[in-house]
Amino acid sequence: METFQFLINGFGEALTWTNLFYCFVGVSFGMFIGVLPGLGPTAGTAILLPLTFSLEPISAIIMLSGIYYGSMYGGTITSVLINTPGEAASLVTCFDGHPLAKQGRAGVALGVSAIGSFIGGCVAILGLVLLGPTLSKFALNFGPPEFFALVFMGMSLLIGLMGKSLIKGLIAALFGLMIAFIGIDQSTGIMRFTFGQTNLASGIDFICVAMGLYGLSELFISAEERMSKKAEKPAKIDSLFPRKGEWRPTLNSIGRGSVLGFLIGLIPGTNSVIPTVLSYSLEKKVAKDPSRFGKGALEGVAGPETANNAYSGGALIPLFTLGIPSSPTIAVLLGALIMHGLTPGPTLFQKEPDFVWAIIASLFIGNAILLILNLPLANVWAKITMVPFKVLFPVIIMIIIVGTYSLNNSLYDVGIMFIFGIIGYLLKKVDIPLAPIILAFVLGKILESTLIQSLTIFNGNILGFFTRPISGTILTISIIAIIITALPAFKRRNLVNEDVEM
Amino acid sequence: MLNFNKIGLGILFIVFLLVGCSSAQDGEKVPVSGEASGESYPNKAIKVIVSYSAGGSSDIGARTLMTYVEKELGVPVVVENKPGAGGWVGWEQLLGEEPDGYTIALINTPNLMTGYMDPAINRSQNLESFDLIANHITDPGVIAVNKDDDRFNSVEDVIEYAKSNPTTTTSTGVVGDDHIASLKLNNKFNTQFNAVHNGGAGESITAVLGGHVDVLFANVGDVTTLYNDKEIKVLAVMDDKRSELLPDVPTLAEEGYEGVVSWSSRGYAAPKGVDAEKLEVLRNAFEKAIKNVEQAKIMNETGLTVNYLNHAEYLEALKMEEEGIKEIKDLLNW
Repeated sequence: METFQFLINGFGEALTWTNLFYCFVGVSFGMFIGVLPGLGPTAGTAILLPLTFSLEPISAIIMLSGIYYGSMYGGTITSVLINTPGEAASLVTCFDGHPLAKQGRAGVALGVSAIGSFIGGCVAILGLVLLGPTLSKFALNFGPPEFFALVFMGMSLLIGLMGKSLIKGLIAALFGLMIAFIGIDQSTGIMRFTFGQTNLASGIDFICVAMGLYGLSELFISAEERMSKKAEKPAKIDSLFPRKGEWRPTLNSIGRGSVLGFLIGLIPGTNSVIPTVLSYSLEKKVAKDPSRFGKGALEGVAGPETANNAYSGGALIPLFTLGIPSSPTIAVLLGALIMHGLTPGPTLFQKEPDFVWAIIASLFIGNAILLILNLPLANVWAKITMVPFKVLFPVIIMIIIVGTYSLNNSLYDVGIMFIFGIIGYLLKKVDIPLAPIILAFVLGKILESTLIQSLTIFNGNILGFFTRPISGTILTISIIAIIITALPAFKRRNLVNEDVEM
Repeated sequence: MLNFNKIGLGILFIVFLLVGCSSAQDGEKVPVSGEASGESYPNKAIKVIVSYSAGGSSDIGARTLMTYVEKELGVPVVVENKPGAGGWVGWEQLLGEEPDGYTIALINTPNLMTGYMDPAINRSQNLESFDLIANHITDPGVIAVNKDDDRFNSVEDVIEYAKSNPTTTTSTGVVGDDHIASLKLNNKFNTQFNAVHNGGAGESITAVLGGHVDVLFANVGDVTTLYNDKEIKVLAVMDDKRSELLPDVPTLAEEGYEGVVSWSSRGYAAPKGVDAEKLEVLRNAFEKAIKNVEQAKIMNETGLTVNYLNHAEYLEALKMEEEGIKEIKDLLNW
């Protein structure tokens, strides 16, 4: 109960007018950054970090956490409205969020995301308060073999996202893995597929691929359709809230997403794609009618969005208790803590309780501000879908170019983004699904590095995976799942998988 | 219709505002006070290329130092992040710039030398391509283990064990300083260290705290907090002298294993060919900024040790490091 006393003191500290102001500024600024594809949470916090140097440590961290949360939500807005994920975490939101927007239900998608994010954030904070220190020790049991198993499971779930034809889905996934190979190989230092170009040495950036494959190709397709056809009348904007029958399944997915995201956030070294992919697949598995997924299923937005936010809350536990940053953005926060003279680690809770609890309380407040800001704003954002295409087209193209450029201040990235835009356009023409490409691309890198790391640890013995309880269990389940899903397909020689249509 | 245009304009405005914030790097000119340019140096903003992402340890270190360099030079000194290729995206860009004294870069070891020494990459550049300014930070390597690991209580335990058993070590990248240090030990003492390469020091620490990898090879800056909280046992520092931040940790040589040192250092350089006078201005400003007590204190708090070396000493240190890498060429298949 002592912790609750601390938490209440924390609220007292965080609810001062100054801190509330910084929280508000952080959240709003973060949201605008998030709306710009390319400038995701990491860049946002890093760029604004120097601005916080002159502030009190608590205010500074409160503002930075606000930026972090805000920009995560901003990424959702672009995913839903223009099918362009601003960062990896909001990729999955495109799958159903954008179809919803096309049906004129962008408001609902954004509303549900805001509600889900709020609940997910709160669950994670509660978890942080109640279980944080205990769970963080357990999470250390996840080493490279366990990561490999987790990512392997994520990859096996890809089969569910293969689209209408298994063959085309496999082509897509293999293409995704292929682009993941580009660059310096982490385990040998050898350059692969770089053709002597220094710019390719560190591989292709997720943002370039995502913006090109999703954002730009979508624009090409719409340009083609709408210039040959008469402009379609924009769909009417629905309310912010789900329809009557949709509440229950939506709230259930929010519940599942909260727990899933929180647990994965505890594991140091995961990235935010893993909880969203797992949550999406889970929602599809438990849904009564999985065929709605990819065509605007509300659960497909609610689950992953919640998981994403619960993940960011959970990720603070390894940061605070072990000083281990579990994602690049958290690493920037770690830098900020250190710059302000606070060293995260097991003793932070004892040495600086006022500070820690004020931050935890401010996360809660930040989430609330985000919800209050966004429920009314969701409809304003949603109106963007009604903007005539000839006005929207140049604006989006500019945002995409500027966003890609600002990533590394590199025109090379912009060129790569354009190439992927053209590839995406061609693939859409021949009905090859894009989701497996980008997911295989993101997960493939981790899959490869954790495999090599594990094999080094096992001295090359691949059976080593099955001698460890966690990795063994996860791998066995995944293999069984693959056999069950794939067997009928091979019998019938083609799997008709009513599915995510991009 | 008007409404839509407003939304569009609003978005554009935000875009420019933010991009302005993120990359207000190049154009900032400082008014020349009555003199023709060229006569007074510097008379406009100086760009510092940092080959690592914004917000990382290198970036934060550079940005902190630059606030002090700015005071010395009297013009804005702006950091531009150009991450990629282990640092070489930024360095290739630096070497492509005019040597006019307005573009300099953070350089760090061993990435700088491994980038041109690796025969597979076959770069034409080398140390001769740079005009060195000063060394800022030297972060010595350390050997540490999980606090609950009963096998190892001294660095002797580790090395004797590794002589007869394959032992995994952490490494933040192929031919990074951790990897090179473990290879040097293999070379010198016939140990069987196997490096498990990962993406960064955070991952190294997690792997050892979780008991997945046997021995932690990292830098002083990575372990000070864990050391103070007694979460790991730091067994040795791979430097000529003990670290002030880890006063009771012996050096490898003290423990009887001489001839292996390892550190990563960060300093600043310009492309070859900058006027001697301009270089002098830069070197003086950096010397004062690096020797600034307040700056050193901030660095210490983040676990980094400021180690000012003037350009000649710095060149000496870099050459020594080159030699160290040449020793293990065979083990790298170079």
